[in-house]
Amino acid sequence: MNQLSKKQLVARLLQSFGKKMLSSRPVQEHETELVIDKADLPEVCRTLVQEKKGRLFTMVGNDERELSGHFALYYVFAFDQLQHLITVKTLLEEADPVFPSISAQIPAANWYEREVKDLLGLRALGHPDRRPLILHGDWPEDQYPLRKDFSAALPVSRQPDRGTSMQYSGRDVTEIPVGPIHAGIIEPGHFRFGAVGDTVLHLDAKLFYTHRGLEKSAEGLPLTKALFTAERICGVCALSHAVAFAQAVEAAAQLTPPPRALYLRSLFLELERLYNHIGDLGNLCAGFGFAVGVSHGSRLREQLQQLNEELAGHRYLRGVIQLGGLRLDVTPAELSRLLTVLEQVEADFDELMDIILSHDIALDRMATTGVLSLQQANDLEVVGVAARASGRAVDIRRSHPYAAYGQLDVPLVQYTQGDVLARFKVRAEEVKTSLQIIRQIVCQIPAGAIWAPVPEIQPYTRAMGWAESPRGEVCHWLMVGPEQTVFRYRIRSAAYSNWPAVPLTVPGNIVPDFPLINKSFELCYSCCDR
Amino acid sequence: MLEQFLWIIGQGLLVALMAPLLQGVIKKTKARLQNRLGAPILQPYYDIVKYLQKDAVISDQASWLTRATPYLVFCVMLTAGLLVPTLWGQAPLGMAGDLIILVYLFAVARFMTALTALDAGSAFGGMGSSRDMALSAIAEPALFLAAVAVLITGGTSRLGDIMAITVRQDWNVLDPAYGLACLAMLIVVIAETGRIPVDNPDTHLELTMIHEGMLLEYSGRYLGLMVWAAQIKQLLILTLLIDLFFPWGVALTPGVSGLLAAGAVYLGKLLVLGIILALIETAYAKMRLFQVPRLLASSMLLSLLAIMVRIAK
Repeated sequence: MNQLSKKQLVARLLQSFGKKMLSSRPVQEHETELVIDKADLPEVCRTLVQEKKGRLFTMVGNDERELSGHFALYYVFAFDQLQHLITVKTLLEEADPVFPSISAQIPAANWYEREVKDLLGLRALGHPDRRPLILHGDWPEDQYPLRKDFSAALPVSRQPDRGTSMQYSGRDVTEIPVGPIHAGIIEPGHFRFGAVGDTVLHLDAKLFYTHRGLEKSAEGLPLTKALFTAERICGVCALSHAVAFAQAVEAAAQLTPPPRALYLRSLFLELERLYNHIGDLGNLCAGFGFAVGVSHGSRLREQLQQLNEELAGHRYLRGVIQLGGLRLDVTPAELSRLLTVLEQVEADFDELMDIILSHDIALDRMATTGVLSLQQANDLEVVGVAARASGRAVDIRRSHPYAAYGQLDVPLVQYTQGDVLARFKVRAEEVKTSLQIIRQIVCQIPAGAIWAPVPEIQPYTRAMGWAESPRGEVCHWLMVGPEQTVFRYRIRSAAYSNWPAVPLTVPGNIVPDFPLINKSFELCYSCCDR
Repeated sequence: MLEQFLWIIGQGLLVALMAPLLQGVIKKTKARLQNRLGAPILQPYYDIVKYLQKDAVISDQASWLTRATPYLVFCVMLTAGLLVPTLWGQAPLGMAGDLIILVYLFAVARFMTALTALDAGSAFGGMGSSRDMALSAIAEPALFLAAVAVLITGGTSRLGDIMAITVRQDWNVLDPAYGLACLAMLIVVIAETGRIPVDNPDTHLELTMIHEGMLLEYSGRYLGLMVWAAQIKQLLILTLLIDLFFPWGVALTPGVSGLLAAGAVYLGKLLVLGIILALIETAYAKMRLFQVPRLLASSMLLSLLAIMVRIAK
């Protein structure tokens, strides 16, 4: 598809909005922004999703009162076929910070709209769920941390908890509260089951216990320092977040890093996927008490993390990325060492998959457990492994290539059953495709510089960066402020997109199967909570 | 009289002190099979000593049951330990009861544990007890039936008598009834000791727990006693398996040298059984909760077959 026809296609796509469109402009190479009146929001968004087949990519609320005297909402839709993003922007008056909700038509907007209420005080009228999301019931209702006039340094006095969990009642329905403190060493989340006997009727998940206010604390930081924040959003997807942030900055500066840097980014991203997927596959076995799988999974993961340390000096690949490229290069000797280690790991991995996938009880526990239907996955805009296991073909490495993925062959792994077993198999096959991609990179990697200086960025330029993390696509939305600082930084992780889907898969299953279902999604709490 | 007294003390000590060792062996074997180094074999002793020295934290919702149950369960298990022959072909309290009272003592301990798990009102205790009660409704008759399949030959319900008969007759091990009953018993052993594929003793996933779920509210010395009692029960269940199916080597006449030899044989058999349990646990994964009754039902079916074969002879 050449550039011209793409432009035409985008123009045709926007034609139908006619007079509703107050203005439109291209933002970055792959993004068009249109401004509409807030009253038209539901209709325009519904058309984009239901007729034009866009998917809600992220949604950002922004306090732009010092720029234009308004709050702004950005709904970003991705059009995978076009390789294009369309941002719907609308302005809200300070005196009347409400807007019509689109969640009833587009369920995926549910969390986003609740989030702008909690953090910016922008209220979605007609939202089906009016409970707070990020700030729990003990947070005062008139304090909005992401408004520019809220000081992060001042303490906020807490109020008595408003009680925002779902209550279950009725004969024979037992309420089972679990967490946020668990028996094992895992992240905090509060789950409330309504169950009859051991069969689950409904599950309500309350997250955001690890909300650290990273987006607020990043504001005002120089871009180079904000990169460290990006690396610390999540422990196990550190590199994906770092790459996404660096790409957002580079897009804002209209800089393309040197080819070698792009290839190396892809290499490290695949290494991150490898250690995560293999570790997750092993951990999944803990869901049905198969200790052999767990211990071999963690052994292989350890091998891969030691490889990471050898190559990058960090087991979780922190400190690899730099704005404009990479901080470190890889020597040919290291590349051949990499291939040797991966060969060993692959042989052991194949054997482990053979053991697990020929184990009757393991298969019985995984098959038909925790089914996420394609309809649910589409409605909630689920991403990553969970989406591909339900027959939803989203892989941002293919649809909006970044780093060196445009030059690499990235096969799509897809299953349609949507159960735990399908998610297991998607991960297992993605390990194999990751290994293939790494081999391609080692063959094709060009010589040259690994870094280019980032030119000065105009204040209030905005841009996005994205990466397919092991859990699915992450999207970083960035508006640069004066003097190369962060004005607004919105992190939408894969976990944020996928968490709302988890409670849907549990009803009908039995309570002791929940840990297995949860492990099969393997979502992170801290990068969801931020 | 003094001998009787010493015998009771001796067997009580033997059962109580051997139980953590068996647990240690099983855990060590499992760790080695899973590619791990594992804790030292004596770790269960250290754990119990540690627990017993610690202060207990008890929910303010809990009643006296939470305080009483650990002592009660521990004493019940020790009493049960005096009803199962270990080294000598008679149990110290053999005159007081037979296999039936043993099954009932286990039931008392289970009932008290399940009841107390509801005491503090935590969700996991409730789930643990409801699951344990549901499974025990099938596990108990399965245990009884498997034992009956053997006891029926001797026409007795006394363990000591059937052991003597088995050892003296030295009947054909290849008897199909014997094999069927032994397999049935092995399934019961796995269920009663709370091991994979029925329950997972090592899990941290509170939603999947059965026995461990009932212990979540205990701490300190109470936890120590409950853990120790569970280990004693495990030892007793294995001893029962030994007594019913592999009694050879047990001392039938009093005498120090005979008892020592029997002790060595008993220890050896326990360790072998422990290793077999660890092997099963490593090779299997935990099955779906609602399929466990099927497993136990198959155990009962095997026992019934064994009884039929026995009667047909």
